[in-house]
Amino acid sequence: MIWHIVTRELYDHLTSLRFALTTFILVALMVTNAVVHLQTHPEQVRKYSEKVIASQNELKSRTQLYTLLRNGPGKLYKRPASLAFIADGGEAFLPNESVSGYAWTLYGTTSLWSLGYPRLNMNTISTLRPNAMAIDWVFIITYLLSFIPFLFTFDAISGERERGTLLLCLANSISRSTLLVGKFLGSLITVLITFYFAVLFNLTIISTESWTQLGAADWGRLGLIVLIASCYTGIFTAVGLIVSAMTRESRLSLVMLLLIWVTFVVFMPSTLGTLSSKWMSPVQSHYQFKTAKDAAIDQLKSSIRNQQETLKARQLKSADTSPDNAERIDISELEIWQDFVNKDVEIQERFNRQYLAEQSAQVLRARQITRCSPAAIVQYALESMAGRGFNRHLQFLEHVNFYVRQFRDFIVEMDRDDPESLHIIGVSDGMSKKPISPEAIPIFEDKLTFQDTLNSAMMDMILLILLLSVSLSGAFLVFLRADI
Amino acid sequence: MFWTLIRQELLIHLMSARFFAAVVITLVLVVANTYVLIGAHEERLSDYSQREAENRENVNRTPTYSYLKLKIQRSPNPLSLFSAGLETHFGSEIDILFDSMPSLSNPLAEVKPDEEYHWLFAKEYTLSSPTAPLGLKNPYLRLFSQIDLVFIFQVVLSLLALLFAYDAIAGDRETGTLRLVLSHPVGRGNILLAKYFAAMICLLLPALMSLLLTLIQCSFAPLLQFSTSDYLRIGGIVLTTIVYLSVFYLIGLLISTITRLTATSLMLCMFLWVVLVLVYPNWSRFALNPVGEMRAEKISANRQIAQIREEANRQRDSFLASTPLKGEPPLFTETLPLDKFYQSGGFLRGNFPRLHVELKNTVDPLVLDLRRYYDFAATLQIQTAEKIGTVGQHLVSQTSFRQARWDERLMKLSPTSLYMFATSAWAGTDLDSMIDYIRAAQTYRTALINAFHERNAFASLQWFATNQGTIDWSILPRFHFQRAEVSLSAQRALTDMFLLLGTNIVLFMATFMIFIKVEI
Repeated sequence: MIWHIVTRELYDHLTSLRFALTTFILVALMVTNAVVHLQTHPEQVRKYSEKVIASQNELKSRTQLYTLLRNGPGKLYKRPASLAFIADGGEAFLPNESVSGYAWTLYGTTSLWSLGYPRLNMNTISTLRPNAMAIDWVFIITYLLSFIPFLFTFDAISGERERGTLLLCLANSISRSTLLVGKFLGSLITVLITFYFAVLFNLTIISTESWTQLGAADWGRLGLIVLIASCYTGIFTAVGLIVSAMTRESRLSLVMLLLIWVTFVVFMPSTLGTLSSKWMSPVQSHYQFKTAKDAAIDQLKSSIRNQQETLKARQLKSADTSPDNAERIDISELEIWQDFVNKDVEIQERFNRQYLAEQSAQVLRARQITRCSPAAIVQYALESMAGRGFNRHLQFLEHVNFYVRQFRDFIVEMDRDDPESLHIIGVSDGMSKKPISPEAIPIFEDKLTFQDTLNSAMMDMILLILLLSVSLSGAFLVFLRADI
Repeated sequence: MFWTLIRQELLIHLMSARFFAAVVITLVLVVANTYVLIGAHEERLSDYSQREAENRENVNRTPTYSYLKLKIQRSPNPLSLFSAGLETHFGSEIDILFDSMPSLSNPLAEVKPDEEYHWLFAKEYTLSSPTAPLGLKNPYLRLFSQIDLVFIFQVVLSLLALLFAYDAIAGDRETGTLRLVLSHPVGRGNILLAKYFAAMICLLLPALMSLLLTLIQCSFAPLLQFSTSDYLRIGGIVLTTIVYLSVFYLIGLLISTITRLTATSLMLCMFLWVVLVLVYPNWSRFALNPVGEMRAEKISANRQIAQIREEANRQRDSFLASTPLKGEPPLFTETLPLDKFYQSGGFLRGNFPRLHVELKNTVDPLVLDLRRYYDFAATLQIQTAEKIGTVGQHLVSQTSFRQARWDERLMKLSPTSLYMFATSAWAGTDLDSMIDYIRAAQTYRTALINAFHERNAFASLQWFATNQGTIDWSILPRFHFQRAEVSLSAQRALTDMFLLLGTNIVLFMATFMIFIKVEI
């Protein structure tokens, strides 16, 4: 019986005007998305590989351990996501490379390389072009796959009630729940048919280009993304049925649905984010951060100066003693420098880390609150799955931190292997002078595994499934008790 | 009879649940967003004053005239609350330098010159374009897009307009009331007009109520103050809102007249709304790029600039040949040995000779040569910068400016974008206002140079030497960006408003013609 209802609903929908209009809009947007992706993506991949090769060649040209430590691993680049067309995620604004910290020279000693605070690309937002949203899958899914189900369901129950067909229908031996499931599946399948059709267009165009080879993991991600989109469509179909069952007039039901849509989909994701950050403890401004860091470094500098002076005083006192003693003092001076340069790196990186952690904690908390809107949940899930946006940014920074630790460990280990070295890391005279083979230097590779993307999207996916079940059971409850 | 019709329509609308729900939602959205927007504006203000203080401190610490690196800013516009336009994301800070001209953008930086020149004048700075938009303490919060009040009207009220209109004719025809009404001695045009006026009054109510709420909220924010001219601008925005909403109502009315069934009319209205309000403006900006990269133009401009620089270099070399100074500028260590001539100091290598040194002896005849050289170099540099500025300006008008204009033109095919651009013109946050800012910066640069000339700063010892103590920086002219007059803003908004009005008239005429001939 249920399939009878579903097929009847499907026939009804598939021949309607709204189906034709929906198909047209979805296909047009998906094709645009694919075409623009093909125009921009190869260029980005090319630039990325050029930059990576240049930076690696420079890294391999260094043969001395000390120069390696002082100049650092060079710039580390974020790999452009192969699924970039799924989500824009403000990627143009987020940094796509690591930055080195502030370098200085003091009394002939230079600072060591440190990892700087990642700079946001302010100049990409500072353009003359008017602001607009990117037509990515996130836009298409969050806006249209919520709007369209409403257009299919607003009169599903209230319309039949107005015409009186609902009464006739229920006079047969059909339970209310069967009717509801039939209506739900009928609308859902209709919307999903057009969506899959448009997705097919999109992916066909994208896979024609050899630059954007999609691997097995990418196809897996795409599968999950389509699943998320279907789940999202289901939520809005169910909400449409709830409102339709609750209202007497289909006209009123549409108005209610549109207002719900405008609030939850258009306004909530942006307004709630900034609104919630108002009530969070404020982060320090860049100026405060800079002054605090500078103060800490200055303190370090003055303490080093004190140590040096006491050492000099001792040196003067024991100037006439044995040469053996003098050499030891020499070493202790090197050790002071070692202390200085390493602590400097440590302080700079600690401050940067703290500042960044504070900022991202605020963003993450604001995102948590924004998740009141299913559109935001889908946006975050899709961004994570596609390897774009803020979560990806944090993952990239984590990879960079991990690599930097690896890089420093490598230097310490190479130094330990050399018996002639004084093992004073960070000072030119105290380190191994043996040339190192370029193959041995660890290389940074920004990789995003399927596991990574799945982990960060997991919570959003569970939330979506929960929402779907809640809205479906809500529809049951409302419809079972509704007057006909 | 006409008034009876209006009164009846009004009652139907005002009593309807859709009107009530829409008003409630609009007001909630307006209040919440105004709260956010006022907060953002206050953050921008505090950012602005902090940067001003920093800049002032930097200037006061500057030891010599040549070392001056002045920055100016655009004060945040309170009307960005209503229509943000470019205000919140376009750069606010401009470096005022002797060796580069303020410019709207710097497309030269996007392509590298194909040849590398070694030591040259003005190597780093070609054009100084605005950077660092004023903003949130936590810049990552920019990931949440900001919404201005106009956006709420743009989305919610246009939707309401269509919901009023979709069954205005088709619904009456279906229920048969249209036939009854027309049996009275009323013209068909009168019916249309009555429906139109009643709906417009109903649409204006939520708009005015939200305006009132916004102004009340603003009055609680001590940092946010509107001047009299600002109120005029707000009036302009309200006027544009009326014209905009009327467009959507008439679109709905036209569809309602054409179609037989309300269901069809509704579907057409909804899809048209999605396309006009949400899809098309974003789509056009995303998918269309009629200007393109213009790489060839950028490279050729870079080449022209290289020639200008070479010419400047030649002039400098020939001048240097006539002086006893030898060695590399700015210190000329061949004739002026470091240990004998200079006590201490520092300099910024590269373009403009920026240095601060303490001389051992200021009466040395070579010091006079040095002074003469710097005077010459500074004048040459200023001239060169102006020449480069002309080339750059031309390039900007060909590339980024043209691109922005084309974006606007293409987006304006949708009435929603027309409305957006018209209101940002009223608010003074549009592209033209940014051009005003750049012009003000250019004027300020000239004023600064004149002030320096008045003091004879270029030829003075204090240009590069700190021997005579610190400089009294109160001679600097003060910069304050004065926004364009209301009348000018109105002129800028007028084209878009006329386009909206024209659309209105065409739509009304079309509806009228069809309604006259249509079968009831």
